[in-house]
Amino acid sequence: MDVVNFIIQNILTQASITVALIAMLGLILQKKSLGQVISGSLKTLLGFMVLSAGSSIIVGSLTYFGKIFTEGFHMQGIIPSIEAINGQAMNELGLGRDIALTFLAIFIFNIIIARFTKWKYIFLTGQAILWMATMTTVFGYAAGLRGVALILVGGFIGGIFAVAMPAIAQPFVRKITGMDEIALGHFCTVGYVFEAGVAKLFGEKGEKKKSVEDLKLPSQLEFLQDTYLSLMVVMVPLYIITAAFAGEGYASTLSGSTNYIMFAFLQSIQFVVGVYVLLAGVRLLLGEIVPAFRGIAMRLVPNAVPALDCPVLFPYSPNAVIVGFITTTIGSVIAMFVLPTFGLAMILPGILTNFFAGGTAGIFGNLTGGRRGAIIGGIFHGFFITLLPALLVTIFNTMGFVNATATDVDTVTAALLYAWLIGPILKAF
Amino acid sequence: MFRFGKRKDKETKKLVKEEVVLTEERKEDLLRMIHLKKERVNQIVGEEQSKVYEEIGLAFNELGEEDNAIDAFEKSIQAKKSVGDGYKTLLKLYNKKRAEAAKANDGASLQLYLKKMDQMMQVSKDVTRGV
Repeated sequence: MDVVNFIIQNILTQASITVALIAMLGLILQKKSLGQVISGSLKTLLGFMVLSAGSSIIVGSLTYFGKIFTEGFHMQGIIPSIEAINGQAMNELGLGRDIALTFLAIFIFNIIIARFTKWKYIFLTGQAILWMATMTTVFGYAAGLRGVALILVGGFIGGIFAVAMPAIAQPFVRKITGMDEIALGHFCTVGYVFEAGVAKLFGEKGEKKKSVEDLKLPSQLEFLQDTYLSLMVVMVPLYIITAAFAGEGYASTLSGSTNYIMFAFLQSIQFVVGVYVLLAGVRLLLGEIVPAFRGIAMRLVPNAVPALDCPVLFPYSPNAVIVGFITTTIGSVIAMFVLPTFGLAMILPGILTNFFAGGTAGIFGNLTGGRRGAIIGGIFHGFFITLLPALLVTIFNTMGFVNATATDVDTVTAALLYAWLIGPILKAF
Repeated sequence: MFRFGKRKDKETKKLVKEEVVLTEERKEDLLRMIHLKKERVNQIVGEEQSKVYEEIGLAFNELGEEDNAIDAFEKSIQAKKSVGDGYKTLLKLYNKKRAEAAKANDGASLQLYLKKMDQMMQVSKDVTRGV
């Protein structure tokens, strides 16, 4: 009995161990060799621990940023970072095990839906599924779900999104790529369709429609060459300007003997370091699970259509990516200033989301509304993808998240589904 | 609003299924072109080499020699990353191989082509960002 108690109290309560055990079970079920089972399980364990370490670094930096922002601007300044949300949910909130199990449940529901319906989409972007699992778990938890129900509902909703989002995007993707065999698997699809709608409404029509691809634009976004460098380019001025507004008197109380501006600079780099470490952890964590899932899914679902990450569309409309990135950034900056006037938190622009989601949205806008559609649609898209995460801030704050909100709008939509529909229904019964 | 209708689906399917029948003359032209380009390709480097490999790949693809086409496209990307017609055709071919592997229940090939498709996403990211 003592042994069982020891296992329950000291081993199964450790999310990292549970997650490693899940990976181990998966590897055994796939009849991998002993060596592969051991190395795979240990890598997953390592991945979880690295992710936790990254999260702690991010939280440290965000806590500091939250304080100086409130002091400097007398409002809450939120950094949109799904990584920060995932890290905090997995560790500080202790939802790591539930997120890992929901992640697996989403995979399974994706296979079931694709196997038995006419929508054959298999979502191949593992990282995006982890973000979805994070959001369904966090908001399911907030709605009052626990245990198996939390995991199954999250898996079901996530599974539906994993099939529905590629299906919704497919009419556009088909026109963009000229083929039906490959789909788009990126949880920002609600935003893409939104941009396509706005572009259709305000863009050029019929023969007047001119594609942005006819414009001469710089073919590459060289300043975005490195993910972490581009993150730094935004975070450094953001922290330094905020520290300057907070003033030396207040900021020095946080920086100790270091100059307050220097301290802000170092803290901004710390944020980037945190994201770097966290994503390295995610890669280790998913490295074993995702290939196994893909192999199983592709064999269980005849005529499966792989839903790939957003760069799958970039080659078909490279100029639209640039236009989409720029216009989405403009829209998100407008939203940053407008939303606080409606009593919402100030959401700072997220450069990486603006690039990947904005760029892809630009392709949709160009498709339905030509040049004018891509430009107007892009600005609306930027506003839209800032507004949606802003709606979650109050709930995140109540749950104890530090100064961050989610990014990918489909995961935000799933969260809002919990907050506005599932939660109230559960409370009514 | 966006005309999601089934009619469109049918149109596209018809479009995809249309296959071009290769004439003997065209076949000979392609083979000659491949031969000439193969002789030239080792004497050049970088972007030019990438372009010639891409042309060889497209010719092989038109001939229906998929493995040779894949080989040439891979060499093209190795010489210099780009996202032109070669890239698009290669992704399509990888996906076809992936589907065949799934049908044949060949786990190793399936993983290989899924991994190659992942790498293609990275190539697209890199080219767009000018890496």
